[in-house]
Amino acid sequence: MTRQQELAIETAGLVKRYDGDVLAVDGLDLEIASGTAYALLGPNGAGKTTTISVLTTLLEPTSGSAKVSGFDVLREADRVRERIGVTFQDIVLDPDLTGRQVLDIHGRLYRQSKRERQEKIQALTQLVELEEALDRAVKTYSGGMKRRLELARGLMTEPEILFLDEPTLGLDPQNRAAIWDYLHQLRDEAGLTVLLTTHYMEEAEELADRVGIIDHGRLVTEGSPAELIEEMGADVISVTGQGARGAFLDAVKSLDFVERIDESEDGIQIGVDNGSHRLAELVSVASQDGFAIKDISISKPSLGDVFLKYTGRQLRDH
Amino acid sequence: MTTAISTIWSKHMTKFVKNGEEWMATLFMPILWILLFGAGMKAMMGDMPLAGTNIAYIAFITPGIVALTALSGAVNGGATLLDEKLRGILKEYLVAPIPRLSILLGNMLSNVTKSLLQAVIILLVAVLMGAALTGNPFGWLLGLVLMLVFALGFVGIASAVAMRAPNTGSYHALIFLLNLPLLFASNALYPLQIMPTWLKVVSYINPTTYIIDLTRGLWFGTPMALNGLLSVGVVLAWGFLGTYLAYFSFSRAVR
Repeated sequence: MTRQQELAIETAGLVKRYDGDVLAVDGLDLEIASGTAYALLGPNGAGKTTTISVLTTLLEPTSGSAKVSGFDVLREADRVRERIGVTFQDIVLDPDLTGRQVLDIHGRLYRQSKRERQEKIQALTQLVELEEALDRAVKTYSGGMKRRLELARGLMTEPEILFLDEPTLGLDPQNRAAIWDYLHQLRDEAGLTVLLTTHYMEEAEELADRVGIIDHGRLVTEGSPAELIEEMGADVISVTGQGARGAFLDAVKSLDFVERIDESEDGIQIGVDNGSHRLAELVSVASQDGFAIKDISISKPSLGDVFLKYTGRQLRDH
Repeated sequence: MTTAISTIWSKHMTKFVKNGEEWMATLFMPILWILLFGAGMKAMMGDMPLAGTNIAYIAFITPGIVALTALSGAVNGGATLLDEKLRGILKEYLVAPIPRLSILLGNMLSNVTKSLLQAVIILLVAVLMGAALTGNPFGWLLGLVLMLVFALGFVGIASAVAMRAPNTGSYHALIFLLNLPLLFASNALYPLQIMPTWLKVVSYINPTTYIIDLTRGLWFGTPMALNGLLSVGVVLAWGFLGTYLAYFSFSRAVR
């Protein structure tokens, strides 16, 4: 019998420093409710994989605490391991085994009975659409198929919590959409908690109930995708140019329809109430104040803009 | 613990059985030794006079060849472990609710099993080439068991190195002595009494000398040059030491 915790994942002041003084996680406080999907969004090097490694008991924290399903990852590691499923950033499948063997071995490691394994293998292969390839060696699979197999493996043992480290890294849009689709199908599964890490903002927007934006090992902001985006204004006008920038910015700040202004090395993002109506006025303000516009565009705000607001940098799509 | 060990063991054995090339590669060298080296030397050496009895050269070198195969197998087993570590395949085991030791033991035992299969095949070839087994099957079995304990010791060393090595190149650089050098520095190819003193000393430190002396006696009936109980003790201690080193290195390398 598992006890359903209110908080599936909880960290307090989590710090991880590697040998040689590399501070990967710098005081992380997370509270993730059971049955929700949470995305840790951040660029490469932000500390996402390290956080997952600590939560899945692969690494010991340097200081601070972390609990998964109510169990401490340091002192009760085995209890944690019984309840989690994981997919890693790199593909870690044994290339000489068949898909079926991979899933079967995984089930045996968790002491599932033969019947259970057969049922799960059938159900999961159907979910991730790998029925035809199941008895072929993994080395014959495409990248997308391997990721789907890994997702199936993570789910074999009916975990309470599923950790997905960059689940669609390197996949083409079709495969990415397929994985998102499977994850949506799983959302109805009673009580499954999902923690995923990603640097793709559309992925966080698509899959998560709550998003934590992480940079340099700390959370810079947190909230549902809708909440975070609402802060940005209805539309974002992005401007790059040269000239009297200071004067231009002062003038823009005084406009009453401007909700926010964020600057980065790449340009200026101006949050307005309606992009197409305000565009002309901004252009005339720029030319009046000696700012030569090189490029100007309107877009709906995204989590990338949220990231920019809090860190001053672009969340680059690698 | 045993489910985990047997799951990992059977994973490696499945791969081994499926992979015909691995079979061929590991058996090719020892059979070559027996056929070419053994037959060639037989012509020149005739029988080996040892402590008052004569033994056919093929029979004389067979224990060494089995040991050599076990050593090569150990190096390969370590390389597999290293490969699984570098590729991240070990991570699947590390997040599973299984004891850490079972990961190591599953790998090591699959290695030793392969050595057992190879030893039996080599013995068969040797017998076909003229080596005469003693009439005592318990002796054969005991010899095989002791040979496996010896193999386990080296599998342990190879695994210990594998868990510390940052890449394949440095693994092989550290482990290269674990092959022909060990064989030449023992009584595998020539008896102890004809060795110069310095070589004799090195041979006495080499655990290979003891298992070879034991199996020559148990399989082919040669009188042992060394004290049997001492040899058994050395082999058992060796197996234990290798396993312990592997466990120590493994625990340091993973959480």
